Amino acid sequence: MSTNSVVNRLQRAKAGVGVGGSGSASPRKKGRFSARTWTLIAFALPSLILLLLINLYPVIYAGIQSVRNGDLIDAGNFVGFANYAKILSDPAFWAAAQFTVIFTVTGVFGSWLIGLALALLLRTRIPGGGVFKVLLLLPWVVPVVVSATSWNWLVATPQSPLPMLAQALGLGNVLFLANPVLAQVTVCVFKVWISFPFMMMMMSSALASVDVNVYEAAKVDGASSWQSFSHITMPLIARTTYVSWILMTIFCVNDFPTIFLLTGGGPVNSTTSLVVLAYRTVFQNFQTGPGVAIAFVMTLVLVVISVALYRQIRKVNIE
Amino acid sequence: MTTAVAPHGLTTVASTPAGKRADIYTGLRGRWWRFLVILVVTAVVLVPIASVVFLSLQPALGSTSTAPITLENFANVFSQTSVGTWMANSLAVTVITVLIAVIVAAPAGYVLSRARNRLVSGYSLVLFIVQSLPVVTAVIPLFILFAAIGLVDNLVGVTIIYVGSTMSVAIWMMAAYYDSIPIALEEAAWMDGCSVLGGFVRVVLRNSLPGILSTAIFAFLLAWNDYLIAVVFLRSDPNYTLPVGLETFFQQNATNWGLVMAVAVVMMLPPVLLFSVLNRYFSVGGIGGSLAGR
Repeated sequence: MSTNSVVNRLQRAKAGVGVGGSGSASPRKKGRFSARTWTLIAFALPSLILLLLINLYPVIYAGIQSVRNGDLIDAGNFVGFANYAKILSDPAFWAAAQFTVIFTVTGVFGSWLIGLALALLLRTRIPGGGVFKVLLLLPWVVPVVVSATSWNWLVATPQSPLPMLAQALGLGNVLFLANPVLAQVTVCVFKVWISFPFMMMMMSSALASVDVNVYEAAKVDGASSWQSFSHITMPLIARTTYVSWILMTIFCVNDFPTIFLLTGGGPVNSTTSLVVLAYRTVFQNFQTGPGVAIAFVMTLVLVVISVALYRQIRKVNIE
Repeated sequence: MTTAVAPHGLTTVASTPAGKRADIYTGLRGRWWRFLVILVVTAVVLVPIASVVFLSLQPALGSTSTAPITLENFANVFSQTSVGTWMANSLAVTVITVLIAVIVAAPAGYVLSRARNRLVSGYSLVLFIVQSLPVVTAVIPLFILFAAIGLVDNLVGVTIIYVGSTMSVAIWMMAAYYDSIPIALEEAAWMDGCSVLGGFVRVVLRNSLPGILSTAIFAFLLAWNDYLIAVVFLRSDPNYTLPVGLETFFQQNATNWGLVMAVAVVMMLPPVLLFSVLNRYFSVGGIGGSLAGR
């Protein structure tokens, strides 16, 4: 298995061509066709039923809910786009949208930069390189509930280790989770800490497929290491980079526990993202319609961003 | 640099590729600062995880022990809380999720890897769309549905959702692995009179252990680490999985860090051990595993 095949599949899925090109006939022998087709349908059927039941049905149901005024028990009445009008005129929605953008942009590019830098370092022969690789993946392996608890211990109160350290360094009383701006920064750093191992894995695997002889050739031609990097490495890993950005964008926009477990969305809603807002609207304020409408608007924006980034991939699809 | 170096370099490639890599990327000169950078970065990155372990080994609150390291918190946590039950719940949910995910995704991935037509293209597109939908959108209707059929506050309910959540990535991972198995192997089996099913089970599946393991690790991490679905659907202490259990316990005992961190250690140990033992399937076999949602 390689990243590239997963990556290819993602791209083809988006392009709507599947794995098999543009619907050309099967190269299999005609005599086998029917039995083979039935077997393959039987192979795919359980997964399809699960996907329809657990993933697609709820979204369709949610679409219906978003134009009704019901709650978790009662289906309510049809109210048209009142829920959408309500949330779009609510400043809390726009504040949450703004924080979602901040969170996503720092999450994606912060984790990518660190992940790429570490992947480049780990590509070289370093004593104990294999051990470092495993240790550096731990933030991604450890359950987020555990790491959020630990970060709470590190930063939450004035008596926590990091605020004490800041005090000792003469930075005064730093309230990481009580100051709105600082809480946003802390949540973003926490997200980068959780996500950079994912980027490191993606980038390591892309770098592994780069033929090392190309660098030697470039060196002979007098290229500097920066030129080698920007003209050889970057173009060759561009596709995986774009795919990793898309996936991380999806992960960040949809992320709930990272934010909710560290700050609960506070202080004064400064770290409330759209997902946290949707969750609170439904499960704490018991307004299903507006909550689902928030989730729907979010999904729509996510799809637009994904499509835009995918177009970009198809442009750089050289290899 | 003269042209005479190039042929020399090329012969090195042919004889010792590993040494060649080191020459290009580092040379002895660069090795040590790189090592130091990695060492410092790793140390900083591990601070939160090391803190968890360190705090859990401190003497319990009100303890008279003077030992620098004790297991008192662990003893207390198992006697005072239902962490044993939560762990059993987490294990049951996770193991069943892993089994079903692999059993369903293995044949489905085969279709994605080998079949070529419009239906498969549509199937592939469905997988992608599903993967980009926010979990929070699906949670609300599923809650209403599960409430109607008695699956709220029920471990069966969350297991079903976990299996659904693993599907897209699990299928991609299996398909990606099958892509590396030459189709000639199955064709030989078909020639010998094997059916498609027979060829899949006896030839393809037999050679797919790394792919299956990778998929299983992915499903394990997803089910074991999930918080959102568990917190929405599990409503009573005896039904909690570890993430909800730990979070609830943390809310009630926020000052007793030793106890809280002992629960945290119990929770992070299985994925960390699993990953440490099987990580070569990730480093060699691939990245597909990293498509897990975070």
